[in-house]
Amino acid sequence: MSLADFLSDLDVLVRDATSAFAAAGDPAALESARVEFLGAKSGRLKSVQKGLGQVDKTDKPAAGKRFNEVKQAIESAHQQAVAQMAAAVRPKTQSRQFDPTTPGVHPRLGRLHPITQTIDELKEIMGRLGFTAVEGPEVEDPWHNFDALNIPSEHPARDPLENFYLEPQNAGTSGEGRGPGEKTAKPPLSTLLLRSQTSTVQIRTMEKMRPPVRIISCGRVYRPDTADATHYPMFHQIEGLLIDRGVTMADLKSTLRLFARSAFDPDVHIRFRPSFFPFTEPSVEVDMSWQGGWMEMGGAGMVDPNVLRAVGYDPEEYSGFAFGLGIERICARRHQIADIRELYKNDVRFLRQF
Amino acid sequence: MLVSWNWLKQYVPLDMPVEELTRRVMMSGLNHESTVEVGGDLVIDLEVTSNRPDCLGHLGIAREVAVLFGKPLTLPAASPKENAAAPVDRLVNVRIECLDLCVRYTARVIRGVKIGPSPSWMIRRLAAVGIASINNVVDTSNYVMMECGQPLHTFDFGKLQGGQIVVRRPASGETIEAIDHKTYPLGPDMCMICDARNSVAIGGVMGGAMTEISDQTRDVLIEAAEFDPVSIRNTARQLNLHSDSSYRFERRVDPEGLDWASRRCCQLILDLAGGELAAGVVDVGQRPPQRKPIVLRLPQIRRILGIDVPAERVREILVSLGNQPQPSTAADSLVVVPPSWRRDLSREIDLIEEVARIHGYDAIPEDVGVPMVPSARRHEDRVLERIRRVLTSLGYDEAMTLSVVDERTSQSMSPWTDAEPLCSRMPVLRGADRLRRSLTPSLLAARRTNQSLANAEVELFEIARAYLPRPNALPLEDLMLAITSGRGCDEVKGTIEAIFEALKIADLPKADDADLAVLDPGAACRLQFRGEPFGYVGQLNAEALKQFDLRGATTVAEIRVAPLIEAADLVPRCAPQSPYPAVTRDLNLVVDQSVRWADVAATVRQSGGPCFESLEYRDTYRDAQRLGADRKSLLLTVALRSSEGTLTSAEADAIRDQIVAACRQKHSAELRA
Repeated sequence: MSLADFLSDLDVLVRDATSAFAAAGDPAALESARVEFLGAKSGRLKSVQKGLGQVDKTDKPAAGKRFNEVKQAIESAHQQAVAQMAAAVRPKTQSRQFDPTTPGVHPRLGRLHPITQTIDELKEIMGRLGFTAVEGPEVEDPWHNFDALNIPSEHPARDPLENFYLEPQNAGTSGEGRGPGEKTAKPPLSTLLLRSQTSTVQIRTMEKMRPPVRIISCGRVYRPDTADATHYPMFHQIEGLLIDRGVTMADLKSTLRLFARSAFDPDVHIRFRPSFFPFTEPSVEVDMSWQGGWMEMGGAGMVDPNVLRAVGYDPEEYSGFAFGLGIERICARRHQIADIRELYKNDVRFLRQF
Repeated sequence: MLVSWNWLKQYVPLDMPVEELTRRVMMSGLNHESTVEVGGDLVIDLEVTSNRPDCLGHLGIAREVAVLFGKPLTLPAASPKENAAAPVDRLVNVRIECLDLCVRYTARVIRGVKIGPSPSWMIRRLAAVGIASINNVVDTSNYVMMECGQPLHTFDFGKLQGGQIVVRRPASGETIEAIDHKTYPLGPDMCMICDARNSVAIGGVMGGAMTEISDQTRDVLIEAAEFDPVSIRNTARQLNLHSDSSYRFERRVDPEGLDWASRRCCQLILDLAGGELAAGVVDVGQRPPQRKPIVLRLPQIRRILGIDVPAERVREILVSLGNQPQPSTAADSLVVVPPSWRRDLSREIDLIEEVARIHGYDAIPEDVGVPMVPSARRHEDRVLERIRRVLTSLGYDEAMTLSVVDERTSQSMSPWTDAEPLCSRMPVLRGADRLRRSLTPSLLAARRTNQSLANAEVELFEIARAYLPRPNALPLEDLMLAITSGRGCDEVKGTIEAIFEALKIADLPKADDADLAVLDPGAACRLQFRGEPFGYVGQLNAEALKQFDLRGATTVAEIRVAPLIEAADLVPRCAPQSPYPAVTRDLNLVVDQSVRWADVAATVRQSGGPCFESLEYRDTYRDAQRLGADRKSLLLTVALRSSEGTLTSAEADAIRDQIVAACRQKHSAELRA
């Protein structure tokens, strides 16, 4: 083998190796390139080295010198490629100096709406007292919103100005919703309305189950109030209902006290003032002691025997209580919100406070 | 109800401080609003619930005070001197043609009155309760109304044609000029008081100008009647004429008190304006029905109230409130006939409430042991909490918007139904009368609000119901999750996928082309889940941005929550994990543009065999020159692992080849070197 041929092989080898190491995109590729060129058994450097024995004696010193240079060049090219790959794998942040005095990196967190937080809190407390959450429709028929709740047809609470009645549906144009819905076998419905209280859910629940009943229902209700700092035509209620044998007003007062002690202050007392609701009798306004005075909590009472009868319960066998609280009011108090209209404006600066 | 302390004093001795009186009546059902001093008198504002019209007069309040403080109640005299020589039925004839609107009508006549100013005591008392003085006859009828709660009307008898009162519905197109000298058109179900020719008053609501008492009036007809409450309410509303009189008729008057009020009014007119009262009364219509006795079983008091009230105390409370005790046939029970002014008392439970409110609710303990029962959070509440947690962790703030929108917003998009929205007869708020069929437009409005405040990073979500109309049924109230975001379509779609991951739902929704007019077709998709419509994700197109008045790229998404609740696996089961290391293989599959990732992924999963562990999408590469315009290259990584031992390189390659072969067969995929 001539010296020229040998030196030419070396040149090809160094060029191929350098470009192979540079081209390797991941550690596995680099390793296979290393094996190809620097492999101890059958690497290309090894096979070129075999050609050194066939070079003329006189040319050997020059050939050996060049071989050693090439071997070093390939080895250092490999080292360099290994180092570059390690640097590329290392996370960027670590390449900079860590400064413990600057803020860490964290994703922005969203916030739950204060009404959701309040409902969760109330459900949690009432859940501990054994009340299971139930839900019902917001668009109601007069039976569930009025009749079954002992509100007869001539009652002022049914006045068109006190409720959001819906326009009758034109059966010809209203098609089936695209979403898969429940099947209803009921006859055509009379005038529908947006429910004015969550008590409707009591009726729907009692129609479906036998006592004992211990439920709460939370949700949106609608009344034609002019929007101001403490009113909004849509608001949320939490309604509790307990029906069983031997349930008394003392149970009602004690349950509400347990609730108020859990939600507000361990040292509160409950006061009842007589009131009037068609679906409870006796009916009371509930106050809790607060900062030396009394603060209104909501309405409550013993479920009227007519309501029990309307859902097929025997009022001689069962008795029970119901109570209803306004969630906006509780929420506003918890978070010191001065104007409840803020709750529905959805200014993210407002929302992110909670 | 405004109550004058000095006036009240006439019927019951008031030797207690006013604060004590207001506290006690508040604790027995008359909520105390305020007490104001007016010219040496105290005016107390008490809230009277709609079941207690008996408290819409000073006598009713006095009766409550007498019961609460154990004081005697003094009724004023109502026995006017009559002129026996002139029977009233020779002077006036009354006929009711609409007994459904007017149950009963009584008339008395006083002749020869002298109209003049009222005495100062009467003017003061009326002023205290907010009624301006007119003259001695009109003031007297108002005074008696505020005394006993029965509205009265006085007519100038000389101007009543034919000495006749006819109570009837108005003729079609009829109008009346009322005492406020405005002319009102009359509806078909209004109850008109008429003489032989004309309407002279809107019964129970307002008198007419033609027969009002003037300085020239000599003879007076005194009307005490009972009108149908619903008719009065409708009439007052239709004419927008709400008066002290209509307020009381709407809540029903004491049927037995009618004649007393009439006599009381006559007596005061005779005292203050002179004249002669014609003998007797013309009394037409239905007599009040006999009240039925109510049986109160004493043990029921403990059963409902949870406390014992001694039998003697129960009896004392009920009798002092005006209930007439009857002989009882059973031991342990009381029988009473309720007073005529308490129509709200007809059942045992009503009497129990009377006992409770007078005995005092403070006697009911607030610390009895309520028995424990098992209860758990509902599955859907847990799912919703988990969804909310994912969204807040990913930086979305929860919004809450009104369920009802205006027509323009409602029409802007309706991805769930073609049916017209349900519509409220009156707007819930500023023109908003359509029950929303989608949450997205409301959230876009919230985004606009934030944009106008120059708030950075407005990432909002809401979970609420859409109202999807159904024929002859309540609407489907479908719970929706809507998102509006400044992030890209991929990211918002990824948010939905993260929810699936959090809920441990293995199968992801399938994406189809979006057909919503507001979305950019190039950056939008409809989603299907388990064969049902599930939602959509997409970027608003330029036109929609303009329509919603938004600047900058906006991505919206809305998905149904019910399928998530159904599919969520909140208590996943543990599967054994192989102790051997995983091997990965990268694949670069060239397929037609029309081939969907989800289909390729399904093939990869199916063909991987028992050692297939997971599949990860890496990228899609398109290059018209190297791949051809109708081809794309999908880059993916599969992880393989055996439970038997460490996979060798050759074994892993064999599985990879198996996957590639399956993809080639099903999707004409080629492996790209």
